[in-house]
Amino acid sequence: MRAYSRATAWALLSPWVLAFAVFGLYPFAFSLGASLTDYSPIRAGATRFVGLANYAQACTSREFWNALANTGWFVLGSIPFTTLAALGLALAVQPSFRGRTPFRVGFFLPSVVSVVVLSLVFKGLYAPGGSLDALLGALHLPAPAWLQDPRTALPAIMAMDVWSASGYYMIIFLAGLESIPRDLYDAARLDGAGAWARLTTITLPLLRPTLAFVLVVNTIRSLQIFAEVFVMTRGGPLGRTTTVVYYLYEQAFSRFHLGYASAVAWLLFAISLLLAVVQMRAVNAREQAVR
Amino acid sequence: MKRVALAVLAALAFVAACTPAKKKPDEIVFWEFWPADVITPLVRQFEAENPGKHVRIEQLTWDNGRDKITAAVAAGQPPDLCELGSTYMPRFLASGALSDWSAGVADLRDSLRGWELCKVGDAIYGMPWVLGTRALFYNKTLFAKAHLDSTKPPETWDELYAACARIQQLGHGVHGYGVSLNDRQKLFKKFMPFAWGNGGEILSAGLDSSRFDSPQNVEALEFYLKLRKVGMLGLQDALDQEFKEGRLGLQISGAWLLKQIPKEAPGLRYGVALVPKPAMDRGEHASFAGGEVLVSFTGSKRKEDALRLARFLVRPANALALASSAQSVQPANVGADTAAFYRERPDQQVMIRQFATARFTPNHVEWDAIEQVIEEEVEQALYDRKSARRAVADASARIDELVGKK
Repeated sequence: MRAYSRATAWALLSPWVLAFAVFGLYPFAFSLGASLTDYSPIRAGATRFVGLANYAQACTSREFWNALANTGWFVLGSIPFTTLAALGLALAVQPSFRGRTPFRVGFFLPSVVSVVVLSLVFKGLYAPGGSLDALLGALHLPAPAWLQDPRTALPAIMAMDVWSASGYYMIIFLAGLESIPRDLYDAARLDGAGAWARLTTITLPLLRPTLAFVLVVNTIRSLQIFAEVFVMTRGGPLGRTTTVVYYLYEQAFSRFHLGYASAVAWLLFAISLLLAVVQMRAVNAREQAVR
Repeated sequence: MKRVALAVLAALAFVAACTPAKKKPDEIVFWEFWPADVITPLVRQFEAENPGKHVRIEQLTWDNGRDKITAAVAAGQPPDLCELGSTYMPRFLASGALSDWSAGVADLRDSLRGWELCKVGDAIYGMPWVLGTRALFYNKTLFAKAHLDSTKPPETWDELYAACARIQQLGHGVHGYGVSLNDRQKLFKKFMPFAWGNGGEILSAGLDSSRFDSPQNVEALEFYLKLRKVGMLGLQDALDQEFKEGRLGLQISGAWLLKQIPKEAPGLRYGVALVPKPAMDRGEHASFAGGEVLVSFTGSKRKEDALRLARFLVRPANALALASSAQSVQPANVGADTAAFYRERPDQQVMIRQFATARFTPNHVEWDAIEQVIEEEVEQALYDRKSARRAVADASARIDELVGKK
């Protein structure tokens, strides 16, 4: 019976396992191998083993550090706003009130739309003479050339990201809020706790696991920002929006340095992993301290 | 047991779905970038002339075409015949992935232009199909408003600057010149016409050292920067849009405008002229020359058929059919400008005339990186982070590093 159920389990899992092996494990292993060679997709026959030379090249490349710095700014500049906006929206639409659903749907909607479509819309919005300029003009405010000014290009992409991602994380926060037992609030109310006290002593502490999840997932996603840059700025102006993934894409598919690009991808993976571990530790340590 | 069987069946169905469809035995796979209505009639005609041959067309886009081709070559499944943009060529030529067509095209050598795009030494790895260049587009209505003679487009840098200044003074959102910002692979084509026209160079004849750091290139960049005072800065799409909406006096752009304007801005009165040269008594009306090349890969299954289809596509009548329907390019055939289509369209004819003094870029394996370096340094100067002299010197040093690598 046991052998039978094990076979059934494997058989049922096989489509996923197979897909994961082909589209997950294999590319993973392939890129790790490629990162140790000078692999170029258009002359695969002449590939040589180069050891850690690609990693060394990345660590000494000005462009890689520039891309890493841009990505760092993007993460630091967008995550706090996305998290706060998502939490604020979740708190606003959690209580039941008439007409709550359209708000929930409306806030979540940007997450359903393809990033490429959103980027094209925002590219038009930010364009000289676009809607944003018209709005600022009507208010007699100066309108910078958002995506062409090295000072505003990255913040402009961040603003779009905060707007489009907040709704998604709002849903996760909502799930977290729903899991907090109602009786805690009832008890607090009986004890005379006001709205602020209930938020800071019940809601926020109990949302900590959700917060950790949102932070980790959003950090990993933000480190991988690519499509927005590809559509809106192509890494410019002055390389201010060249993120790590855009940089590695250029290296892999314009220069055909796929070995080097793989090394950059693995460096990014290591950084993501490190950040995720640090974030989890930090949030968990607090949780322990609270207990 | 039924459940196991069902799961195994599902897995098998998944595997089957992942297996690529088998191609028919006599099918020639052709990857290209043209809309179906432009290319399909030609291909059907080829099939009619060659009974038993069937061509499967796959349309690529300029945004991701190169990625697809690269992936197919890497996977050992390249198409039989493929259209490549000239900027893709240096890396593909250096890779050894292209099929040697030297013997198959020997008789066509004198009847086509643009062999530079597909040559390494004496060996030829492709066939020039259609060519493209950049020329000066100017708005005749704005010329008239600024009391300029709209039948006499500027021929020299001074005349260009003066015309732009007059138009810029019109105000109300109207600008004189469209200065290109760093759009990858576009800024290069907007700036280098001035540098080449002024006698500037990029690489030595042996392609092993930089010739970029020259007074000619500094002077050209200084002039390009000066145009900012009498114009606007923008990416190519934005500048083209401004031009179509009648708010931009002059800009260097490509023949795609000749197709777009009648559709999108039918009322626009405009003209096309050669890129201005430094002065009447020196320099030339230089520009950038690029094109589309037909190639086959060493890994292609049907190389003979690919060559046959390519030879069919570059026949004067067929290349003209494509170019006249696409309008954004001109045939690579020598003497194409004498065809009735071009005789009736002086603007298109200017593009072909501009070609005579346009430069092909060299087939150096690091060419796209070299182009990017020039664009980055020109951009530094456009944003006033560097002087023209500094930017040119820095670009030259970086190019030396790239070509020294080999």
